[in-house]
Amino acid sequence: MIKRVEVQYRGVFQKTLGKYIGGDIVQIASRMGKVAFSNGRYSDAPERNGIPCKYFAFVSPDLSEAELEAECGSSYNADNVDVSVVVDDAMAQGVEPWGWHGIRPVNEKVGHKACLLVVTRRNHEHLLRFTAKKPQPYRLATLEGDASMAGLWVFKDDLTRERCLGAVAAVDPGIISIEAVEEYLLDTGKDADRARAARDAYEATLRRIKVVNPDQGIDWPHEIPVLPKWHEFEEGGVAIPAVKRGFKLGPRGQNRNDGFKHGTSKTERPVVRFDLCIKCTLCWADCPDECFDPTDDGLYDINYEVCTGCHKCADVCPVKECIVMVPELQFEDEKSPWEQHKKDPAGYIQWAEDKKGSTRIRYRHVTGEGVEKYKATPVPRNMDGPGQKEAL
Amino acid sequence: MTTAAQPTDVWEHELLLTGCQAVSHAVKLADVDVIAAYPIRPYTEVMDQLSQLIADGELDAEYIIADSEHSQFEIVKHASSVGARAFGGSSGTGWMYGMEALAVTATDRLPPLFLVGNRALDDPGAFGVEHNDAMSVRDLGWLICWASTAQEALEHVFIGYRVAEDKRVRMPMALAMDGGFLTHAQHMVKVPTLEAVKQFLPPYDLGDRVLHPDNPISVAPQVNEDWVMELRRQNWEAARRARGVIKEAYKEFNGVFGSHGSQYDNPYFTEYMTEDADAVLIGIGAVCMPTQTAARRLREKGHKVGYVNLRWFRPFPTEELRACLGRFKGVGVIDRDFSQGSPDNGGILLQDVRSCLYPLRGDGPNVINFMGGLGGRDISIDECIDMYERTLAAGRGNVPEEIVSWIGLRE
Repeated sequence: MIKRVEVQYRGVFQKTLGKYIGGDIVQIASRMGKVAFSNGRYSDAPERNGIPCKYFAFVSPDLSEAELEAECGSSYNADNVDVSVVVDDAMAQGVEPWGWHGIRPVNEKVGHKACLLVVTRRNHEHLLRFTAKKPQPYRLATLEGDASMAGLWVFKDDLTRERCLGAVAAVDPGIISIEAVEEYLLDTGKDADRARAARDAYEATLRRIKVVNPDQGIDWPHEIPVLPKWHEFEEGGVAIPAVKRGFKLGPRGQNRNDGFKHGTSKTERPVVRFDLCIKCTLCWADCPDECFDPTDDGLYDINYEVCTGCHKCADVCPVKECIVMVPELQFEDEKSPWEQHKKDPAGYIQWAEDKKGSTRIRYRHVTGEGVEKYKATPVPRNMDGPGQKEAL
Repeated sequence: MTTAAQPTDVWEHELLLTGCQAVSHAVKLADVDVIAAYPIRPYTEVMDQLSQLIADGELDAEYIIADSEHSQFEIVKHASSVGARAFGGSSGTGWMYGMEALAVTATDRLPPLFLVGNRALDDPGAFGVEHNDAMSVRDLGWLICWASTAQEALEHVFIGYRVAEDKRVRMPMALAMDGGFLTHAQHMVKVPTLEAVKQFLPPYDLGDRVLHPDNPISVAPQVNEDWVMELRRQNWEAARRARGVIKEAYKEFNGVFGSHGSQYDNPYFTEYMTEDADAVLIGIGAVCMPTQTAARRLREKGHKVGYVNLRWFRPFPTEELRACLGRFKGVGVIDRDFSQGSPDNGGILLQDVRSCLYPLRGDGPNVINFMGGLGGRDISIDECIDMYERTLAAGRGNVPEEIVSWIGLRE
C-alpha cells in the first residue's frame, strides 16, 4: 500500500514550508516503521513569486524502499493523492504552474475518498464556490489559518508547519498518527508548544472534514490544453506562435499570451478606486506583468487574468486608499473593474470599499516579518478628481 | 593566380587557392549575409580571406569579430534565426569553447554553415589535424561532412547550405577540412559563376520561424518534460530525412555543375578500386591521398584492395555503407581521432562502422582499427600498404586479439 501526500504551496514564499512538511512526514512515518520519501515536483519553478508548486511525500507500511521509489519516484508528478494540503486557500481558484498546463482545479489529483485539506479562514461552502466538481466523492477539510508567507528563501516559523502535520494525521491516520507527530515534534523541536499546536490542529480538523459529493463544486471554466503530438506542430518547435503585437485602448486592449496567463499566482489582488486616481501612470509603468490596460479616459484598467498579485502597484501608488490589496477569495470573477466603474461609478466605489473592508492586511513577503494588520482610514468619494470627472 | 581552364557559363575561372580560400570564395558566391569570426589556426585563414573579400568590395556582408568562439557562434545562430544566411567556423578547442552555442543552434533547428578546420585538442599546444573537434557535435543534431580536396570544400559550401536550409532538414552544417593538409595547401580550384550557384542554391527562407518585428515569435521557451521528447523526435526525423535531401542535392549538383566539374556518384562516400576487393580501408579526409596511392600500388602487385573515403559522418549513411562494406572480407577503419576508454578502445569511426555492420554478423567483414595521424602526424604510403596487408590478413581470418593498432607511433 502506498499513501501519497501533496503539498500545494506558493513559489518561494512557501517553498521552505512545503519542503518541511514533506520532509516531516517522511521522518514521522520512518519513526513509525514505514518506508517513505519526499520530493518536490522537479518541473516546478519554485523560485518564482507566487507560482503554484508542489511537494510530495510518499509513505508505505509494506513496500521496500526500492519498490516505493519505482512506483512514486520515477515521475515528476503524482497522479492520485490521498491528501492534498493547500497552504494558501487562494489556490482554490485554480493552479497554473507553467505555460501550456492551463488553469487546473486544485483538487485535480485528489483521489476517491481522499482529502483536500485547505489552510483557510473560510468555510467549506465558500471554497466549493471555486473548486471543480469531481466524478467521485472526496473529503474537504479546513484548517483555520492564514497563508503563511515567508520572505524570499526563508521560513516563517508560525506553527503552520506543525499544525499541518496534526491536520494530516486527522484526515488520514494511515499516513502518520497524531501520537507520532507529537513525539517527533517534542524530540526535534524541544518545545511543547509545537506538539500542542499539532494536537490542537488535529482536534479541530477532525471536526471540519466534510464529504464532497460529485454534484458539489463548479463546472470547471478553464480549458485544459491537450498537448500536440510530435508531428502535429511545426518543426523547429522551439519557436512558438508568438503573441501578435497588438494594442488598443480599453480593457484587454493589449495582446497577451493565452498560453500562460499566470493569474493563479496571486493570493491578493489590487482593488482600484478610479475616482481617486491622479493618472500618475506609476502602476502601469511599474507593473512587472503589464497587467494595466490604458483606457480612453486616461485611467488604467487591471486585467486580473494576468495579475500575479505582486503588490507593486499598491506599493507605488502615491494616493492613499487608491490601490489596495484584497484577499483573492473575495472575488469570483476577473471582470474588468474599469468597466464596472464606468457603468456605475457610485456603485463601484461601494463595491470596492465592501471588498476592501476596514482592515488592511499586508503580508511582508520580502522581509518575512509576518502579517501586519491596521485599520483603514476611509477616503471620501472624489467627485472632482481627474478619474471621476471623465467617468461622469 | 592563373586561369587555366576556359570559362564556361558554369565555371568562371580557375584560381590557385588554399582550402580556406576556396571556402571563402564559396561563401562569397553563396551570398552569405552575416559572418562572425574569431581567430584560431587553421580556421583563421578563412576569416582573413573573407575580410579581404569584403575590403576589396567583392563581398557585401556583415562581418563581426567576436570576443570569443562562444560569442561568435551565438552571433551566427542569431543571425540565422532572423533569416540571414550566416557563416562561422573554428578549430580544435576553440570549437569546443563555443559548445553551448553549437548545441542550441542544433536544437533551435537553425541552418548556418561552419567551417571546422580540424585541429588537435590542446593541451599541449598542437595545431595539426585530429577529427575530435568536428565529431564532438555528432550526437547533437548537426550535419557533418568532410571535404577531401579544396575543390570539394568549395562545392560543399553550396551543397551544405542547400541541405541545411531545406525545410525538411533545417540543421546546422559543419563542413570539416583537415588542418594543414587541406586548409593550407594551395591547389588549382575551379570557381563557378554566380549564376550557376544561384541556380543550385535557392535563397534562405526560414518561413514562419523567421525572427522579425513583423513576425513576432518566441524562440526556445522553457518547456521541460512536456515537450522535449516531441522536439527530439522532430529532430530525429529531420536527421533521417536529411539522407534523402542530401541525395537530391547531389543529383541537382551534378546536373548544374557536373558536365565540367566534379561528379558525385555517391554523395556519402567515394569508393576507390573497391570492385572485387577482398579488403578495404575506410577513412575520413585527406588520408585518402596516401591510402589511394597505396591501393594503386598494391593492385599493381595483384592485391585486391580498395579505399572508401567517407564524406558524410552525420547523417551516417547506414544502409549504403552496410551494403558497400558488406561486400568485403576485411575492413580496416582509420581513425584520425580518439575515443579513450571506448568499446575495444577503438576510435570514434570504428564504433559507428561496427555498429553499422552489426546486422550482418557472421556474414559481414572482419573489422580492425588503425589509430593514426593524430595531431597532424603524417600517414605515409608505406604505412597505408602495411594497413592494407593487415586488413587483408584480418579478412582471411587472422584477426588480432587487440583489434586496434597504432600507426606511425614511436615505439
